Amino acid sequence: MIGTRTEPRFAGTAVSGARIQHFASMVRDPNPSYWDAEFATSAWGGLVAPPALLIGLLMPPPWVPDGGPPTASIAVRVPLPGTAIINAANDAEYLTPVLEGDMLSVVEEVVSVSPEKTTRLGAGHFIETRETYYRDDGTVIAICTNTLFRFTPAGDR
Amino acid sequence: MTWDDVVVSAQLPEVIDPISYERVVMNAGTTWDYVPWHFNPQYAKDHGHPTIFVNTMHLAGFIDRIATDFGGPHSRVIRRKVSLLGSIYAGDSMVARGRVVDKRIDTAGDAPRYLVDLEVAIFNQRDELCCPAEVTVELAG
Repeated sequence: MIGTRTEPRFAGTAVSGARIQHFASMVRDPNPSYWDAEFATSAWGGLVAPPALLIGLLMPPPWVPDGGPPTASIAVRVPLPGTAIINAANDAEYLTPVLEGDMLSVVEEVVSVSPEKTTRLGAGHFIETRETYYRDDGTVIAICTNTLFRFTPAGDR
Repeated sequence: MTWDDVVVSAQLPEVIDPISYERVVMNAGTTWDYVPWHFNPQYAKDHGHPTIFVNTMHLAGFIDRIATDFGGPHSRVIRRKVSLLGSIYAGDSMVARGRVVDKRIDTAGDAPRYLVDLEVAIFNQRDELCCPAEVTVELAG
């Protein structure tokens, strides 16, 4: 699967002010770009989505009415053993602000898979992926490289 | 903050943010990240953790808050690199310490970009380094 790019995965709805402000409330970030529509429209063109929320904006909901399992990140779909995941590193470049009302999609690619490593958490593989995020007009809005450890917890072996 | 006002090597004010169970639950709810580490204390304990802990997006959001508090409301984070060395658990505090590493003008695009590079590190209340980060902020100029 290394080098394979997925088909685009689309957010089910446009970026909402509710999700922007729920996240900013959780982080306790008073940045008016997230809270003050008049300021944000003047400065950026609309309420801004916190960059750190971007991955979450493309997370599938945990249940959908058609009963199909939500499409998980490609790092979870790589055919490897390991029942648990934990993030190890993330390097994100944000090319343009994401605004309330934007429709987003992401294309993922597996960059590398490490040989099996044993850590204090258990034995598993580090999976490096690259995610390219798009707005629906085709603009690339962010490029993100993520390293995730997929492993079998020591107690489960 | 204007780019001219930025002093390389200046320290950022330390910020302490206590993380309650409510905040960790909000973390899962706001990011739609329902990996059990982030909402199920028994699962976390069964796998060697004292309890549930915040995810990467929460740590990144806290780092971005530090960066744009520094740069002002017209600034924006254009790059952030984080390493996850340790976890921030419900009941812990996040302690952010940062400094200005560099300032530069990027002339590669159509218009010059006024950039500031920061190092921001998140410790827990026991002074254990959990999440070092490199952040680049674009200022209004």
